[in-house]
Amino acid sequence: MTYVELHARSAFSFLEGASVPEELVAACVNLELPAMALLDRDGVYGSPRFHLAAKKNGIKAHIGAEVTVIRPQLKSLKTKRDGPETAPTLDVMSLPLLVRNRTGYQNLCRLITLMKLRVPKHAKPGECSVTPEELAGHAEGLICLTGGEDGPLVSRMLYGQVIRDESRLDEGEKVGIAEWLLAVFGKENVYAELQRHSQRDQEARNQAIVELARKCGLPLLATNGVSYASPLQREVADVFTCIRNHVHLENAGRLLARNSEKYVKPAKNMEQLFADLPEAIANTVELSSRLEFTLADLGYEFPRYPVPAGETMSSFLRQRTEEGGRDRYTGRNGFPTYESARSQLERELILIEKLKLEGYFLIVWDIVQFCKSQGILIQGRGSAANSAVCFALGITAVDPIGMELLFERFLSEERGEWPDIDLDLPSGEQRERAIQYVYTRYGRLGAAMTANVITYRGRSAAREVGKVLGFDEETLARLSGLVHTWEWKDPKDSTERQFRDAGLDLHNSRIKKFFQLYQLVQDLPRHLGQHSGGMVICQGQLDSVVPLEPAAMPGRVVVQWDKEDCADLGLIKVDLLGLGMMAVLEDSITLIRNVSHEEVDLAHLPADDSMVYAALQKADTIGMFQVESRAQMSCLPRLRPQKFYDLVVQVAIIRPGPIVGNMVHPYLKRRQGRAAVSYPHPSLEPVLKRTLGVPLFQEQLLKMAMICAGFSGGEAEELRRAFGFKRSEVRMKEVEVKLRRGMENNGITGKAQEQIVQSITSFALYGFPESHAASFALIAYASAYLKCHYLAAFTAAILNNQPMGFYQPFTIIKDAQRHGLKVRCVDITVSDWLCTIEKEDDQAVKGAAEEDKRSLILRLGLKYVKGLTEQSGKAIVCERAKRPFLSIDDLRNRVPELRKDELRKLAAVGALNYIDQMPRLPTLTNQLVDIGVARGRNGVHRRDALWQVDRVTRATGPLYRELHEKDNNSPLPRMTLPERVDADFRGTGLTIGAHPVAHHRQELKKLGAAPANEISGMPDGTNVRVAGWVIVRQRPGTAKGFVFLTLEDETGVVNVIIKPQLFDRNRLVLANHPFLLIEGTLQNQDNVVSVKARSVKPLSFKIAAAPSHDFH
Amino acid sequence: MFACIYSGKLSDVSLRDFAYSFSPRVEETAGDTVVIDVRGCELLFGSAYELANEIVNRAAKPRAVGGLGGKINVAIAANPDAAIYAARYFKGVTFISPGEELTCLGELPIALLCPISIAQPQKTKGETPHKSTSSPGFWTLDEKSWEDTLETFRLWGIRTFADFAALPRAALSERLGQDGLRLQLLASGKSERQLELVQPAPDFGQSIELDYAIAELEPLSFTFARLLNQLCASLNSYGLATNELCIEMKLETGISHERKLSLPYPLRDHKVFLKLLLLDVEMHPPPAAVTSISIACEPVKPRVLQHGLFIPLTPEPEKLELTLARIMKLVGHENVGSPELVDTHRPAAFHIHRFALKNTFERKNKKTKIPQSAIPNPQCSLAFRIFRPPLRATVEAPQGCPTWISAWAGNQSVYGKIVRAAGPWRTTGNWWRANVWARDEWDVAVETLTANRKTGPPLPVLYRTFRELDGGGWFVEGMYD
Repeated sequence: MTYVELHARSAFSFLEGASVPEELVAACVNLELPAMALLDRDGVYGSPRFHLAAKKNGIKAHIGAEVTVIRPQLKSLKTKRDGPETAPTLDVMSLPLLVRNRTGYQNLCRLITLMKLRVPKHAKPGECSVTPEELAGHAEGLICLTGGEDGPLVSRMLYGQVIRDESRLDEGEKVGIAEWLLAVFGKENVYAELQRHSQRDQEARNQAIVELARKCGLPLLATNGVSYASPLQREVADVFTCIRNHVHLENAGRLLARNSEKYVKPAKNMEQLFADLPEAIANTVELSSRLEFTLADLGYEFPRYPVPAGETMSSFLRQRTEEGGRDRYTGRNGFPTYESARSQLERELILIEKLKLEGYFLIVWDIVQFCKSQGILIQGRGSAANSAVCFALGITAVDPIGMELLFERFLSEERGEWPDIDLDLPSGEQRERAIQYVYTRYGRLGAAMTANVITYRGRSAAREVGKVLGFDEETLARLSGLVHTWEWKDPKDSTERQFRDAGLDLHNSRIKKFFQLYQLVQDLPRHLGQHSGGMVICQGQLDSVVPLEPAAMPGRVVVQWDKEDCADLGLIKVDLLGLGMMAVLEDSITLIRNVSHEEVDLAHLPADDSMVYAALQKADTIGMFQVESRAQMSCLPRLRPQKFYDLVVQVAIIRPGPIVGNMVHPYLKRRQGRAAVSYPHPSLEPVLKRTLGVPLFQEQLLKMAMICAGFSGGEAEELRRAFGFKRSEVRMKEVEVKLRRGMENNGITGKAQEQIVQSITSFALYGFPESHAASFALIAYASAYLKCHYLAAFTAAILNNQPMGFYQPFTIIKDAQRHGLKVRCVDITVSDWLCTIEKEDDQAVKGAAEEDKRSLILRLGLKYVKGLTEQSGKAIVCERAKRPFLSIDDLRNRVPELRKDELRKLAAVGALNYIDQMPRLPTLTNQLVDIGVARGRNGVHRRDALWQVDRVTRATGPLYRELHEKDNNSPLPRMTLPERVDADFRGTGLTIGAHPVAHHRQELKKLGAAPANEISGMPDGTNVRVAGWVIVRQRPGTAKGFVFLTLEDETGVVNVIIKPQLFDRNRLVLANHPFLLIEGTLQNQDNVVSVKARSVKPLSFKIAAAPSHDFH
Repeated sequence: MFACIYSGKLSDVSLRDFAYSFSPRVEETAGDTVVIDVRGCELLFGSAYELANEIVNRAAKPRAVGGLGGKINVAIAANPDAAIYAARYFKGVTFISPGEELTCLGELPIALLCPISIAQPQKTKGETPHKSTSSPGFWTLDEKSWEDTLETFRLWGIRTFADFAALPRAALSERLGQDGLRLQLLASGKSERQLELVQPAPDFGQSIELDYAIAELEPLSFTFARLLNQLCASLNSYGLATNELCIEMKLETGISHERKLSLPYPLRDHKVFLKLLLLDVEMHPPPAAVTSISIACEPVKPRVLQHGLFIPLTPEPEKLELTLARIMKLVGHENVGSPELVDTHRPAAFHIHRFALKNTFERKNKKTKIPQSAIPNPQCSLAFRIFRPPLRATVEAPQGCPTWISAWAGNQSVYGKIVRAAGPWRTTGNWWRANVWARDEWDVAVETLTANRKTGPPLPVLYRTFRELDGGGWFVEGMYD
């Protein structure tokens, strides 16, 4: 006889289970259990991982769930509602349901979806449940167990004990529940479940259940109600119980488990436990054999796209491809002709039809069409850019034929995996419109976001475990502070050292227990979140494939599986990703259209704009997409991009792949002509020629394998995956052997073979696909073009889409000002909520088109006033549109949303300086604004405004409300320049006036600090002193502990390199101080200038500064 | 005129006592600041300026001769607040002529205007604040309001007292209200207020040095009675009571014998105190003869009880406490109280809760819901007779299941063959602490060997046994009736 565990919970029951599905499967393997059923609470969250792990280990994975059901009001059940308040909830029960066949699985998914979508995401326990009628309607294909302590029978008995002090259930009640279950599920499909956890009262209830089973003819079924894989994990289960109930371990009392018996037990133990009821054990095997369903039989069908009558999806896709292909492959602007592209398109279409993916391509095409019709920028990226069909359909903007991209990277027949199309959209409202379109188009049950399982990690784990152990706030802060957030981890940083440094003794039993528990809870699921953009689409039937849930965001629905699980089970998804730069591009175009009445078409930008390449070569790239980081800026002057493909390389080269694989310097040397171009093998020349013999892209890796080892496209992609993120030693070895064998067959041996294997294996993990780089390069080029030609619009758009990119708004503005852009402060008489563009006051400047562009001025929006709510800001704009504000009193009266602190903030940053003091006619608004501005500049100053604000915001009685101040002149002094800078930083986080460092230039001269613009002209090796405001701090994981700072002064930025030893000695100063004086040696190589620091000193400038952007 | 003394960095000095040596009218503004009303001191110390110099000179003297042993700041001004600011922020002696306050204080940074520092005089232990009803008292500004005001000053560009004093009063009133005007008066050195005079703190401690050592309880009780009588009189005069008495007895051997009597509610009846103290000393006698005694108490408000017509009378608290003390003397204090079950799976776990009278009102309104209360406590339908302590047993359990048992203790014995056994019922807990517990319980039917001739073969008796899983052996916990 053997035994099958048919009632197990994983950690995907969220705080009710303590092991991940893989651990449960591993326990089955160790104990030689042939199968197991996973029944998580109200969901099948863990089933994909359970299924895959079981498949890998040859275990049968039964699927099911514990579903919360409202207790039926049966005539035979005399529900007593006058029991004490402390009785357990009588209204709901937890029903364990096992899936017998696909119909059962579909019913289970629909049942859970019904329950979940009825209530908001954070519904209280018990609120989320199915009705008995719904259960009856979805019972086919499901097998019901009578459950454990919260099952229909036992929970009722416990209730009976409490209210009537009796241990046995009334005979009629028991039979009533059993008969109801039999009526719902059928005689063959209800099992009386028995669990034995060495508890006296549980045994008493078991006797009652056995009696009932005999009476009603229910078969007995032994389970262990597993909640964790091994007894040790009971501690985690107890910790979760405490977290769930918001109590400490010390006062959790009987909420905690009575013992540690809910682990996966071997068949022998279970047989001993149920020696008196052998049929209960035998029935587990019999029932397991009846459960024919596994997730391999999911029943997921590729989405269908509704096509016009007389058309098939294939014919419709062919037509759309041909139309698009003829439109895009014109033979002009470097694109091939349609005829030359035709064979590739045909090859792809044949494969798409063979894999029955027409519907998928049409669905994506449909989303793209919608976005284009709505004026929403959209661009495909990732491996989709390898497909000519995607290009023809307008999904991507990169021509894979012209760029010789490898289609197999995107789609391959052999791989058995489905394509992954990522669509970039402007982040924010526009992206939400696209998402809502998909919901509308395919129905609420036809499309959903993929989930993102939030797990216990780092600080959250430390904090929650510490809280459960009853640590005080101070210790909790120290414990959670221990979790390292620096990307670079010092090898000397052992756990013991970290604890010791924080003043915590690991020998202390509580601290030790904390540490053990902290490690045990790592990576256990905590709750379900929503993936940033992945959507699964299934033409109205998604709820029969996977249960759906509401997301926290209104109008969104998520599936219970994360992105990886969906991919593993063959669900096709489309990623609708928000990209801040797309929003910037879109906003820029709108601003240009509104102000300059020009139409910028991103698809037809001049390909070789000299200003763009000049800026790139000078690394003048602040604000530009993908090329603005410090590392990119230090590479640009060496690479000196001259054409679009150089930009593709530039985007891809500063990545962990080329850096770890030591490809960056060889490529740059070859590019600069300092090293000869060579190839590992002559046959690789066509593949590596474009990158001067150095492999930089994943596609090259695949082609190398195809050429050298005779791999097919699919095999090559398989190789990439074997060495990719989910690498396994065994699989890597297998693939490597195959690769070497293939190369030997082609006569590549010895050093060349080693070199090729080395580059392939080291590169596969972090490599960047060329198609992806090309998609990004397009956006990078567009951003560079806009910055060079439409600086005002581009800067305004960047400021309106913060936070994004690498730099703070202050740096963006200072950079724009250095490029000649005039920026004006926030002013409630003219500022909108967002930053806008104004024309220069002096109309004489207007002339030629270029001059006209330069006469544009950036006006900061009210959004930049810290603490001003969007509601108040928009109310100001709305009220001003009716008629101008006459005074601060008028502003206060007409915009009641404005709080006192908001008004003070507006006054402090000078936004109220220009409020007109005189009445004026609405028709002359523009002229009068100008007059008002002029008077404001001469008359009202910030402290005048503050003085008035403090009067109008003070509550007065009705008698004095209409009393006006006789003397409008404030006795307060004007703000000095440093005071204004300080107020600007405090109020807006930036200043449009002189750079804070400029105010201290004389002091810095005395200290011998050179300005940033003088540094670039100095020879390599010079001893220099530089000083400035730290705008970026970085400690990348690949930099061996080196820290990189970017200092900014009024003339530009300086890059500083800090050695690990220097950082250790000056940790506090370097990590926290805003202004630094650094002495070191200048490195000037190929116009890439940086200072290698020798000493660091803090500068005590009494000027407020915005915080730096730290990457650590 | 007023003189303010600021001790600055001098620590552990009793500035108040030092100030009393110059004038009885003293305000203890803060731990390091006192203000003296110097009016009428001319005959003793000469002019106010001479008085200030005298204060400084005397403060410089060593503590043994009545000085403070260091330098202090003294300021004389026409109002206490101006004197305080000057003393706190100017070194040495400062004399501010009436009308010259702003000239002197004007350059002080505005952040120093904070009225909080002078609004929280430090109380000594057992002392209660004594505010004069006629005095306007300290005007205080809470911390948040002061921070807001300071932020306003920062925004207005007000840096010094003089900047603030220069603002027009009416306009200031419109913006900062009465608080603003008061602050402006402080800044211009023109505030008017009376001193918050302090009186010597009442002493709620009594002590006595004995002429000869006492080694017996009876003579000691007379001494206790005297001290407690004085103590209660002192409490009575202030309308206070105490819920804790601290007794320290110095012994012949040179060591101290300390006792602490904690009362469940405040009392001030010296007879009750004496009886309780004597019972306690009987239970915990000093190991040697006593040479000195001191008794101190923490004064608290007396208990006020509102009786009701329909509320049943509770025993007199004093009598109840005495009765309990007598019982404790007999059975030990750890054995007196009401047992309370501990919320745990650990079988039969309880703790003793000290008896205390509860406030009826509180009892009515105290409805706390704890999640544990929702967990049913399964009860056995059989009556169970618990052996306290459990009987240590010898059990034969060849395959884990007990088959034979024998246990003796006192007049209880369990011996015989186990004919049926149910279990193990396993409980484990406290895994996060050092005192982890784990045990297996077995319900066993034991067939005793002695047969009754009248009733035939012996009937098995049901017992509950358990085994400590950490190697503690077997026990019989009780029997089912």
